Amino acid sequence: MAFAEWLRVNSQHYLLEASEREMAEKYLGAAPPLTGGGLRAQFWRRVFVPAYRLVPWSWRRSLMQMMPGSHRRQWTYRPSWKGRAPPPSDPSP
Amino acid sequence: MGGGAAGIGAAGAAKQADPDARITVFTEFEDVGYSPCGIPYVHGREIETFQGLILQGKEFYENAGFDIHYETTVASLDAAGHAVVLASGERVPYDRLVVATGFNYADPGVPGSDLEGLHYVKNIRRAMEWDPILDKARTAVVVEASPLGLEMTTALAHRGLETHLVDAHPWALSEVADPDIMKPVQDSWAEMGVQMHFNAKLEAFLGDKEVRGVRTSEGEIPADVVVVCTHKQPNNHLAREAGLEIGSTGGIVVDERMATSAGGVFAAGDCVEVPQGFTMLPLQGLSGSHAYAQGKTAGTNAANGQRTYDPVFVPWGMVAGKWMIGGVSFGETTAGALGMPYHLGMAQGISRARYYPGMQKILVKLLAEPKTLRIIGAQLVGGEGIKERADFLAVCSKKGITMRDLAVMENVYSPPIGALNEPISLAAQNGLARLAQAGKST
Repeated sequence: MAFAEWLRVNSQHYLLEASEREMAEKYLGAAPPLTGGGLRAQFWRRVFVPAYRLVPWSWRRSLMQMMPGSHRRQWTYRPSWKGRAPPPSDPSP
Repeated sequence: MGGGAAGIGAAGAAKQADPDARITVFTEFEDVGYSPCGIPYVHGREIETFQGLILQGKEFYENAGFDIHYETTVASLDAAGHAVVLASGERVPYDRLVVATGFNYADPGVPGSDLEGLHYVKNIRRAMEWDPILDKARTAVVVEASPLGLEMTTALAHRGLETHLVDAHPWALSEVADPDIMKPVQDSWAEMGVQMHFNAKLEAFLGDKEVRGVRTSEGEIPADVVVVCTHKQPNNHLAREAGLEIGSTGGIVVDERMATSAGGVFAAGDCVEVPQGFTMLPLQGLSGSHAYAQGKTAGTNAANGQRTYDPVFVPWGMVAGKWMIGGVSFGETTAGALGMPYHLGMAQGISRARYYPGMQKILVKLLAEPKTLRIIGAQLVGGEGIKERADFLAVCSKKGITMRDLAVMENVYSPPIGALNEPISLAAQNGLARLAQAGKST
């Protein structure tokens, strides 16, 4: 697994876990118990998630844009915050 | 490569773009041209027979000029040499290739995963073989409350089985839907006799030769049948081995033409990743309609046509328990996970005039970007009219429609089909009212 995949799998898991616990408290009255408390999990829960949340959304979004993936290739449609699309690349295969 | 929605969509579009093109399809399965998404509804007896899921017979594709090789495994892909190599050793050259290899269910990663009788909903032939077992079965376990898990839980309960749903998260479909959206669904499952085991981690499948139950962190659950509904992971080993660029989701990297990093190779469906339209972050494992549309784009461009695919806003919807649920892009849970700021508008509305028979409640949640109030997500639960609203809200999100626009939207009013107040508009009005109460400009 490449670094980008490893980072996405883990960050997605622990960020979702944190958000689910908040939503459970808000709508179900209590956060679920945490399972899997090894050193690795502690790092993601106690270091990564709080650190991620300290970074402003626009920075976070920009950092995530730097990861490799389909979003780095040619897409004419762009959300307003991304500005105008670059000129299309040579379509010949 | 692949005979699912993306592969057959690509073949059809390529033929349309260039009627003289020679189209060859390799599929490891016995059939193409059926709806695997309909399988849970046959198990649940909402649809009488599997024959109802067959869209086209094999002769149709023969007559249309497709050379489909059934039960044929592609062993490797030589992107530089423009050829695929079959398991038989035969080397098949191509001018253009569309990779539509779909998905595999994530390995549950627990002991007993090799036991006989574990059912994975994917292939119609296996489903036809498995279905009679349900006539004799009394108890069933569904592993993971994924979209398929929700459909299978509902189907098996509808079939009359004592159904247990096991999921490690605090509520069903928690990685997509919010808990308040899922509450009516879970209440209705309870009415149907479904036993839900949330925050329960699967530890093992139990049995000697055949599966006879599961062990979870909450205890053992004996069962006659076990259905595994884990996440869809891209089936990409051939693409990886061939050196195609793979993204952070594990999906093949493509552009708006569905062209991969290898010359002459396109890809579509569950094996690719595409950007989400608001964040431009890549997503993988979308619906059959996404796979089909991506396949058509890949096939058209592979046959020298011109077609582009846009980033996705992911309208989704389904029946779960006695309710319909749906949404667009983000809910509170997913937006919260990303740390994406949002302003929320919520309302409980009704689907028809309140006095008209069959009127159903609809809960709508709208998420808007705080500065612009553009719609960035939505979640819905109700008795009817969910799919149409999700489709509409996806277009709203794509086109930059704001909460202000929706607060004053026109709507159809006709007692049998629509209430005086549209629930979407009510949610937007409530969202603006919350802003006004907070002293913020609307």
